[in-house]
Formats: sequence, C-alpha cells, structure tokens
Amino acid sequence: MNEDGSLVRLENIHKWFGSNHVLKGIDVTVHEGDVVAIIGPSGSGKSTLLRTINLLEEPTEGRVLFDGAEITDIRTNVDEVRTHIGMVFQSYNLFPHMNVRDNVTLALRKVLGMGEKEARERAHQELEHVGLAEKADAYPGSLSGGQQQRVAIARALAMRPKLMLFDEVTSALDPELVKEVLDAMRRLVDEGMTMVVVTHEMGFAREVGTRLIFMDQGKIVEDGNPREIFDAPKDGRTRAFLSHVL
Amino acid sequence: MPESATTERPPVVKGRPAPLPLSIFAGGIAALALVLGGVLFTQYLWASQNRAPSPSCAERMSGALPGEEEKLLKGGSAVCHIVDALKSDMQAGLLITGMVLGAGMVVAGFLLYKRMPNKRQRNHAIAGAILGIQAVVFGLVILKFRDGDVLIFARNFLNFTFLEGSMDGFLRGMKNTIILAFGGELLGIIIGLSLALLMISKHRTARAPAMAYINFFRGTPLIFQLIFFGFLFLLGFQWRDALFTQVILILGMNMGAYSAEVFRAGIQSVEKGQTEAARSLGLSYVKSMRYVIVPQAVRRVIPPLMNEFVILIKDTSLVAILGLSAGQYEIFSFSRSFFSDSRNASIFLGTAAAYLAVTLPLIWVVNRVEKRLRSGLVGIAG
Ligand SMILES: Nc1ncnc2c1ncn2[C@@H]1O[C@H](COP(=O)(O)OP(=O)(O)O)[C@@H](O)[C@H]1O
Ligand SMILES: [Mg+2]
Repeated sequence: MNEDGSLVRLENIHKWFGSNHVLKGIDVTVHEGDVVAIIGPSGSGKSTLLRTINLLEEPTEGRVLFDGAEITDIRTNVDEVRTHIGMVFQSYNLFPHMNVRDNVTLALRKVLGMGEKEARERAHQELEHVGLAEKADAYPGSLSGGQQQRVAIARALAMRPKLMLFDEVTSALDPELVKEVLDAMRRLVDEGMTMVVVTHEMGFAREVGTRLIFMDQGKIVEDGNPREIFDAPKDGRTRAFLSHVL
Repeated sequence: MPESATTERPPVVKGRPAPLPLSIFAGGIAALALVLGGVLFTQYLWASQNRAPSPSCAERMSGALPGEEEKLLKGGSAVCHIVDALKSDMQAGLLITGMVLGAGMVVAGFLLYKRMPNKRQRNHAIAGAILGIQAVVFGLVILKFRDGDVLIFARNFLNFTFLEGSMDGFLRGMKNTIILAFGGELLGIIIGLSLALLMISKHRTARAPAMAYINFFRGTPLIFQLIFFGFLFLLGFQWRDALFTQVILILGMNMGAYSAEVFRAGIQSVEKGQTEAARSLGLSYVKSMRYVIVPQAVRRVIPPLMNEFVILIKDTSLVAILGLSAGQYEIFSFSRSFFSDSRNASIFLGTAAAYLAVTLPLIWVVNRVEKRLRSGLVGIAG
C-alpha cells in the first residue's frame, strides 16, 4: 500500500484508438477496500478505463500507479504486476482445452511456480468458495454461463490478488444465472476485497458499492457516494442516464 | 448430452412413390447400366472366351523379326481382347441403346417433375433425368474414344502383363513415399509453427524474413526447389551423401511455408479474449502462446494440415528428378525406372493405384476428423 492508502492511481489518462479519442483525461484514485462501481452509456470508455488499470490497454498519455509504483514506466515487469490484479470478463474467457482445475492452476504453476499438489489444493479451496468444487474435472464447454463465470472468478482469486477488476461480468448471462455470480461478488465485498466493477446492475452498484463513477464520452462526469448519486445526481447527463436505466 | 435420446422417428413427409416417376428413375438406372455396365460386359465376354485376336489387331500387335515366325508381342492377345471388344458391334449396340434410353429419361424427367404431386415422386423423376444425362455423356465419350486409335493407346497403357513383377517395387516405393512425406510433414510443422509465431510478431524485423521465406517457397515450384537446393547442398555445402535426408529437408522447407499460413490463420482464429485472460493472470506473451493459444490453434489446424499432407504425398513424386538410388525409390521413381526398362506405360496404372492406396485412407481420416471437430467440442475438449 502507498503511504496515502491508495492502491491504484490514474493520472490524466488519455487513450486514442487511431483518431478515436476514447479516454479524455481520467484521474481516479482507488483506495484499499474501495468497491468502485463504474456505470455509463455503451461506448463511453468504461472497459477501456478498466483495462488500463492492468495495462491490457496501454494509455496514450498519462501515468498508472499501482501500489505506489508507476507501472506505465517501460521498465516495469508488467507480468509481475498483473499477478496482483485479477480480472473477470464479460465473455468468461475460460480456456476451453483445459478442465476447470487446470484453468485455475495454470497461472499458479506456470507463473508463481507453485508445485502441483499445492496448486490443486488452492484450486479446490477457491472452487469450493464459489460452490463448484465438484466440477473440477469438467471442461468449460459443459458448464452453464453462470458456472463458467464463477470459475473465472475462482481462477482470478486463486492468485490472491490485491485488486479485482470486473467488466460487465453478468451481461452475457441468462437472467436466472445472474444472481449466483452477483452472490459470489458480494461475498468478496464482505471479505474486504478492493474491487473496480463496470456494471449494468444498478441495484448491485447501489447496494455494495462504496463509490460510484459515472462516465460519459471518455470523461468522468460524477464520482462519489452511490446512494447520493442515485438519489440526487448533480449532472444532467447522469440524471438522463439513470432515468433511462432505472 | 444436449440431444434427447428418444427413439421416436420423425413423420415421413415425402409422400408415396408412383409408377410413372419410378419408371423414369428405373429407366435412368438402366440407361447408365447399359452404357457403363455394357463396356464391362463386352470386355468380360471377350476376355473370358479368350477369342482369337481379330486379323487387324493381330497384324499390328505382331512383333515378328525377319525370318522369325509371326507371333504376338508380350500381352498382345489381352490387348486385342480389349480393343476388339470395344470395337465390336455388340458394344456399339449397347452404347447406343443406353444413350437413347438415357435421352428419353432426360426428356421425360424434366418435362414431368414439376407436375409430380409429392416430393418423393419429384425426386424420382429428377434422379431419372440426371442418370440419363450421365448415360448420354459417358456414351458420347466412349463412342468418341472408340473411333480413335484405340490399339496404340491400349498397347501402351492397358497392357497389364507389363505390371508383372512390379509388386515388390511398388510396396518399397509406398514405404519410401510415406517416409518422405512423414519426414517432410514433421519438419514442415516445426518450421511452419516457428514461422507463424514470427509472422504474428509486432516487430517488423521479425515478420519480414518469415514473410520472405513463405513467399519464396509458396511462389516457386517445388521441382525448382528440389533442383536448386539439391545442388546447393551438393556443391555449395559439399554434402555428398544422404540424398534421401536432403530430399526430406527440402520437402520440409516447402511444407513449412504452407503450414506457416495454416498455423497463422489458426492462431489468429483463437478469440482475443483468450490472450487477454492469460495475460491478465500474469502469463508472459511466450507462456500464453505456449499454454493457451497454440494448443487451441493446433486442434483447429489439424484438418487443413492433413489436407496439406495429402498434397505432400503426391508431391513426393517430384523427387524423381533428383535420381535417388534404387533402394530409396519412392512410388514415382520406381515407376519411372520400371517404365524405362519395359518401355511400356501400363506401369503407371500401378502408380496411380499405389498412390490411391496411400492417400484414400488418409482422405477418409481427414473427413472423419473434420466432421468430429465440426460437430462440437469433442476435439477441443478431448
Ligand atoms: N481495441 C479497440 N480498437 C479500436 N477501438 C476500440 C477498441 N476498444 C474500444 N474501442 C472503442 O473505444 C470506445 C469505448 O469503448 P469501451 O471502452 O469498450 O466502452 P464501454 O465499455 O463503455 O462500452 C468505443 O468507441 C469503441 O469502439
Ligand atoms: Mg464495455
């Protein structure tokens, strides 16, 4: 942790895709224990912002600090940094050619250098946590979307990250499967995990978020207490968006 | 399992057959049988009755030297059977009957199929017409051939007595063909995967040489590469032995260029999310390739690689240009040397049979693997 308690700091982040200016000067600080929900219209740059935190997207301009160190510095070992940041995607992205256990243990073995036995134990523990220990030998293709997404969460958590990133992890799910994934995330909140969550689930953002960020057209329009923003949005765009989705 | 395991059958919706369309269908079958079966039948008749060669054939097949008594050349009577049967009036009668019947079914089938009350009857009418077309087309081709100099052709290409004693050579040839093709394929896969990984690099300095290699080997004929690198090894590298190994090397270098494209397409067909998930877990670029992307790509490229392999089997015939030693003959080198000893091209029918004996089982396997891969995740997961 940094001396001021910040885990992630984005300073004046700009991102261009060709001539498309997608992030237009983003400044955000995430403190340890924060649960930051990011909402906003489609195409406003939420995913890009999230992916900037673990450098899946390299910012065109600006600095990203993690745990007090500037990770946008070219000399940073980004692979090492990423072992501390878990990420869960909308499309699960489980490895289809490996069974569930190997999905979870791959990075433990090949990145952290953990032994086979210890990795299996850790995988069992994490899968049990999301209620899927009995699926360890199954292949992802035989699981429901909700189960796959819970495996993806277990896979990320097995690395014991300091920060978890979620990018619309329930958007691809059938409605009846959303709850099991949200429940797994709620448990994580209860355990005190620091999280940044891009979501369309306004109920979830309001209930469990300690902070809400509303983005529009590559800028942060509002950043504050979720209840206050939901009850009394200051900006006109936030108001329009919320009246549209609620 | 996704599909339910009931044994119920879907209702038959095609309708009942009727005599008229059925007879068009039967007429089509009969027409084609008269044309193709007729050829086989006359051939069988002449061969089995061992008729004396017609005077015109016997005259042209005789190999009498001055002073010798006149006798037919080796295999001459069998060739005369083929020629005489084909030129017979019986053959002409069968062909023409079949073609007339076929033409009748074409007319009837196409006139009537739209008026048929159900699908089954319509299909019968159409099938009869299609078979009729085949009877007419084959009939025309055979009639045309029959008018030509069948004898010279048959003497050179259909004199099966010249295949005698070729079995061992063909078996050894098939063994060597398979060794060459497998060796080339193995090397090709290694070179191809390496090139593919270079091709997807973001560094132009890595892509450029790979690109040049691929363009060169895909853009020049294999026969040129065999000659050029054969002599490069021999003269440039002073590599005077192990021609067989050199040939495998050149085949592999060629195959590498083709499989590189296959692998590149396979790697790029793996969803971007797979790389992102792997990298977000801390796997390096190399490790994410090795454990996540390439294993998935390899499963996807198995069918196209096997297709390339079938092509490579046939392309091994080109190494005949380099003059392997007799023990190293692949199918085509053996056939060529057999041909130059016997001075008769009938051996090449054996060549075709030998290649088919190697390629057909493989083609069958390719089709099955493709079907398995397409019908779900079996190949991916298992
Ligand atoms: N890899 C990319 N290449 C080009 N344009 C991109 C890429 N990723 C995102 N964009 C563009 O950036 C904008 C913001 O996208 P994104 O961050 O996914 O928005 P959101 O997650 O809020 O819907 C969109 O206009 C999108 O088309
Ligand atoms: Mg998005």
